[in-house]
Amino acid sequence: MQTLRLVLAVAVSLALAPYAAAQESVRIGVVQPTTGPVAYDGNIYVNTVKMLVDDMNAKGGVLGRKIELVVEDGACNPAQSVNAAEKLVVRDKVVALLGAFCSTSTAAVMEVAKKHKVPLITGISTAAQLTEQGNPYFFRAVATTPMLGNAFGGVLPKAVKAKRFAFLVLNDDWGRSMAASYPKTIENAGGQVVATEFFQQSDLQFLSQITKVKAANPDAIVLAANTQQAVALSKQIRELGISVPLIGEGAWTSDSYIKLAGPASEDVYGLVEYVYTIKSPINEAFVKAFQAKLKENPSKFAGAAHNAISIMVDAIRRAGAADPEKIRDALEKTDYNGIVGNIRFDAKHQAYGQTVYLAHVKNGVPEVVETAQIAKP
Amino acid sequence: MSPSITILAQHLLNGVLIGCAYALIAMGLTMIFGVMNIANFAHGEFYMLGGFVAFYLVSLIGLNYFAALPLAVVVVVALALVLQHAIFRRLREAPMMTTTLVTIGLSIFLENFALLLWGPQPQSIPTPFATKPLSFLGVYTTPLYVFCMGVTVALIIVGHVLIRRTRMGKAMRATFQNKEAAALVGIRIDRIYAYAFAFGAALAAAAGAVLGGFIPVEPATGGIVTLKAFIVVILGGMGSFVGAIVGGLVLGLAEALGAGYMPSGWKDAIGFFAVILVLLFRPEGLFKRA
Repeated sequence: MQTLRLVLAVAVSLALAPYAAAQESVRIGVVQPTTGPVAYDGNIYVNTVKMLVDDMNAKGGVLGRKIELVVEDGACNPAQSVNAAEKLVVRDKVVALLGAFCSTSTAAVMEVAKKHKVPLITGISTAAQLTEQGNPYFFRAVATTPMLGNAFGGVLPKAVKAKRFAFLVLNDDWGRSMAASYPKTIENAGGQVVATEFFQQSDLQFLSQITKVKAANPDAIVLAANTQQAVALSKQIRELGISVPLIGEGAWTSDSYIKLAGPASEDVYGLVEYVYTIKSPINEAFVKAFQAKLKENPSKFAGAAHNAISIMVDAIRRAGAADPEKIRDALEKTDYNGIVGNIRFDAKHQAYGQTVYLAHVKNGVPEVVETAQIAKP
Repeated sequence: MSPSITILAQHLLNGVLIGCAYALIAMGLTMIFGVMNIANFAHGEFYMLGGFVAFYLVSLIGLNYFAALPLAVVVVVALALVLQHAIFRRLREAPMMTTTLVTIGLSIFLENFALLLWGPQPQSIPTPFATKPLSFLGVYTTPLYVFCMGVTVALIIVGHVLIRRTRMGKAMRATFQNKEAAALVGIRIDRIYAYAFAFGAALAAAAGAVLGGFIPVEPATGGIVTLKAFIVVILGGMGSFVGAIVGGLVLGLAEALGAGYMPSGWKDAIGFFAVILVLLFRPEGLFKRA
């Protein structure tokens, strides 16, 4: 009887715990892939958000309350991401969501956000159609691939001194929209696209595609891939005797990429939303804290995490209450100055105004060689 | 050589390189299936473990690359023997549904075990080979690729000889054909099971350790490896060694040439399309069970 009573007491207190905590802290839910094909980059995102929230809490949190993160694994899988988001909203009672990395997963989580009327920010998903759906609870704090293409496509021929471009991209929304949006601006600037090839998320070797690209004899290869595949791609491209510059959208200038790809990362250009060598006081402070805590330089996924959590907490502060509806209204009025400059949202909740970077890897260090500003769409 | 011939030669070379790897992995899978009647969905995880162990032996302990590869295989085989002893030995009479579910569970366990132990970061095994490509009439390869191909071909031959020419191989084949009859003539089925499982895991681990030099290994690698191995085994005929070897090469070449001369987004579809054709028109596979 004694034990039964104890068990009951524990069970009841466990069941009530979320409600008790909800009054004390502001809960933010994070849906990111901490397992699966992009787990490495997903974990960087999660660790960055955790680090920044710890720092914010040390400085008093928001609205005089502590911020509490609840992290769930979405595994870059739409179904699993939806389950994760449902759990965060229904069981953990989060007032805001960050997620969900892969565009397909974000598209799925957006519906959950809309259903439960909870604001959602993505810092990573770049598929253009996400913000075209007019979902009032969804905000994107990152430039879409077509926006990057518009900002940089025209600069590429001159910046990398190339005329004949080949595309070798991931066969998903991201890669497909890259292959659809960059060529126009590249051609306007006097370049031409001589080959377009795709690979799958699960591919580990790309020898056939690389051989095909090689046959087209390009002066530069444009790629879309996250860390795992970027490493294999750049090694295999060099191993098949192609020495032209590579231009990658994705994790192409991160520390882990440079370390894993080794010499194959030399003369690689990254078309990135963030690179750790940006010179600004706010970024330098972030890089310092990141190095101290996580023992590496922040990648673009860390930058994305910084943007997403900072914008969200800024909105909660301006909303004056941990109320999803008020936070959503405050997000619409965002005018945030962060590590990549100023960010605002347009009527479709697409971020604009921020700086994007073309970084060139030289002796293992990505140097910013060109910047552009994302125009209001 | 004219450019189109050079490109064709490059595709063929790529196809043979990958095909040999497929063959090596599939041989292990078909062996476990043939002898133990287990569809081992954790097979790719042995590949992943082989890659990771080799990586840690080379880069953290600083062991010589050529010593690390066989040692990694030994470590994975030891683990496989433990698993066989603890799990599969007890399931000898269990229906295939049960063992299949167990291997799926084991695969999830091993993947997450690796994730916990080593983190999600992909790793490339440092090799002593020069990274500079070798060119032969415009067809490119690297010393590492040549080494990989050499090792996989050698292992395929060794595996084949082991099964065809040794007493142990004979006992395995006898168990293949009829377990009860094999037991009746004095073959120790328990031991054959252990050998088959260890041998299968060894081939997968060897593939992982060798290919890890140019295909980064990460905890989630196992899934796709298992998938490819199953495609090969279904193509070649469940339980056929020659089938696994030929099936591996066929799949490698079909993917390389298919992706080379058709839109490359279809590369993975080619393997599945081949499987559907085989299942429709020759459900026993290209080769009958040995």
